[in-house]
Amino acid sequence: MNPRVSHAILMAAAVLVLVLLGARAADPVLYTAENISTAAHADPATVQKRSPGNAAALVPLMDDLLGETGTLALTIKLKDYESAERDLARYSELSRQFDRLVVTLDVSGTDVGEFQQNNRQNQEALATLLNDTRRFEDLQSLEIEVRGDDEQHMAVVYEGEALRQKMREGFSAYAKRETATTRIAEHYEINATPYQESVEDFAEIADAADDWREEIGTGTKKSPLRIAVTPAEGRYGDTLLIAGTHASGRPGAPVEIYVDSRIAETVALDDGGSYRHPYRIGRVLAGPHLAYATAGPIYSEVAAFAILSGNTSITLALAEVNETTIACTGNLTTDDRPVTLAPVLLRVDDGTLVAAETDKNGTYEKEIALPAGEHTIRAEFHGAGYPLNASESPAETVTVRGEGLSPLPFAAALAALFGTGWYLRRRRNRREESPVVEPARETAEEAAVPPPQVEIAGLPPREAATVLFRTLRARLGIAETKTPRDCARIAPGHAGFFERYELIRYAGETPSEEELRAMEKEALGGDADAA
Amino acid sequence: MQREAWAVLLILLLAGAAAYAHVTTTTEEYSRYNTGWNGTSGFAGEEIRDLRGLDPGAALLILAPDRPFTAEEAGYLRAFLDGGGRVIIADEEGAANGLLADLGSTMRVRPGNLASLDRNHADPGLFLARVVGNDTLFAGVETVRVNRPAAVEGGEPLLETSILTWEDADGDGRITGSETFGKAVVGAREGNLTVLGDPSLFINAMLAENLEFIQNTRAVLLDGTHSRTGTANLILNARLWIQETPPAAAAAAALAVLPVAWHFGRKRDD
Repeated sequence: MNPRVSHAILMAAAVLVLVLLGARAADPVLYTAENISTAAHADPATVQKRSPGNAAALVPLMDDLLGETGTLALTIKLKDYESAERDLARYSELSRQFDRLVVTLDVSGTDVGEFQQNNRQNQEALATLLNDTRRFEDLQSLEIEVRGDDEQHMAVVYEGEALRQKMREGFSAYAKRETATTRIAEHYEINATPYQESVEDFAEIADAADDWREEIGTGTKKSPLRIAVTPAEGRYGDTLLIAGTHASGRPGAPVEIYVDSRIAETVALDDGGSYRHPYRIGRVLAGPHLAYATAGPIYSEVAAFAILSGNTSITLALAEVNETTIACTGNLTTDDRPVTLAPVLLRVDDGTLVAAETDKNGTYEKEIALPAGEHTIRAEFHGAGYPLNASESPAETVTVRGEGLSPLPFAAALAALFGTGWYLRRRRNRREESPVVEPARETAEEAAVPPPQVEIAGLPPREAATVLFRTLRARLGIAETKTPRDCARIAPGHAGFFERYELIRYAGETPSEEELRAMEKEALGGDADAA
Repeated sequence: MQREAWAVLLILLLAGAAAYAHVTTTTEEYSRYNTGWNGTSGFAGEEIRDLRGLDPGAALLILAPDRPFTAEEAGYLRAFLDGGGRVIIADEEGAANGLLADLGSTMRVRPGNLASLDRNHADPGLFLARVVGNDTLFAGVETVRVNRPAAVEGGEPLLETSILTWEDADGDGRITGSETFGKAVVGAREGNLTVLGDPSLFINAMLAENLEFIQNTRAVLLDGTHSRTGTANLILNARLWIQETPPAAAAAAALAVLPVAWHFGRKRDD
């Protein structure tokens, strides 16, 4: 084939290959296929295998929680307090699991989140009911024992009335959640019957307290220890005033103030027999709450107040700490007030959760170590235990450079390079120290070397010339790898010999007898004056 | 020179292989000639291009239809269904709704962007649906992994998502705003007519995800005229035309053989 045609075909083929392959060569899919998808579908082989959480457990857990309310309310009604304690412990554990799952699955903004809030309040209401019922039973026994002692009897009556009011208010709030909780349960095809039964049981317990009051016939007697909460409702960060008077109290006498059956503060009566306690709304659930006070054996009536839920706002700022660590900072606020000591979650790449906490200024800060690459981080507040709605920051993207390459391979490569250089230099120096490259000393060294023995008799002329060339090369200490031309350059004193041999060796010339004799003489060192 | 000849040969081979790959494949979605992840080259169904006189014992799969059916073709399909044949329509864009109406079905495909928490992939559109109906198509299958399916309305449900599924209207992969959880039917049937809201079940990348279901659909006929499985490119269309037209095939063979014959003939003369 004509070389021009073949070259043209070669060129065309090469261009074709380069165009066809080159168009794809830079495509990252060839090397790191990741999240390959179109509008219609995704390639499952390139999508990261990662479950959003144990979603299959969510609905069964909701079912279990509703079931627990039924069991717990029934055991309280039956006054089987030992079983009720066990049921409450299990209910609390299931609630904790559910809370974690809601956060992991990122569904707190849905009706599952609403169910979660209702469940928290139900759990607290049933825990309070258990304590109140137990105390109420004690009071019922005590009331019989102290009949005849008016002072003690009235103290029992006042405390019983406080408990009765608490249970009545508690039931009212518990029953209010029934509609929403049942609606959500039906949506998820969960059996709400145990929960509905728990509402009925709760009602029976509250009714029993009403019946007792009717039975002892002291319903119209008011406690001398009065209490009021003003204003009657507030939001996170607001301060409510819990205050009252004790008609028969001595100045300086202690008054214990309880909020939701937990002691909030102990204050002293002033000279006018009044007491006051500013109650700041902090980490407490939204909804109805109860306050009462005790002064020795005297219980006040129960004052109800409401805590309203507020919206929150959370920010997120990312800053690089080093190649692998990112600092996440931000503020959590509600109505421009900082939300203090609140848990904040940082959701990394829609998966991993990192916990942080706000300080007294509502600021949180967390350093997160991340692998190299681009990451998306979002800060979330889930309102756990606060009268605050959940919020989340916009997702922020950060690129982590990652640790640089380890210096060890570079050090090893440099060491190898220097070692090679040193070795080559040393080898060259040794060669340079060789006498053949020192023409000035050649004569002396030649004299020191004993004349080699060579026998060329009977050899063909060209072979004889080769033997003589090798002899001279050896005598001059020139490496065997050197060609006649190299030898002529290294030992210019014998250039004539080597150039002649080059012609014999490569040009195919045949040396004459005279030439061979002259070459033999030179090879054996008999031409010392030739140098 | 010899070394140069080898280089020429090697480059020609490479060029030939690259050109062959380009000529015989396409990257079109669902195409039978697409060997990539989103093609259907690996699906075993036999492709047909004429809906007349279909065997009443057969099942016909219309996969991601994007070309309309004429009244005549709808009539062939009605006759096929009336004769006991089975039609499976896999569509997620609603393109099959016209045909469904023509076939007298109440089922409709409702395009959308379903997402679910019932999954083990990061992509929220790649999730599990449960088999809820009794159908030979899903014999021995409990769950099917679907790939960004559409909901199917009407008919008897065959394939249903879990309750933790939502219409991801804003496409952020999260359930936010007014989005709510709810079950969705992604496969239903009415008599012999079955509608699947996910044609992606049959793409190459999904075949291994639902092995039993794919085994159950091996014997189906594949409509190559209206389905996107028949999508090719200009070169492929030309090749197909040559394959299907004997004179063109003969002409192409002659074009390939004649230069070689001429070359060898000239050498002998020399």
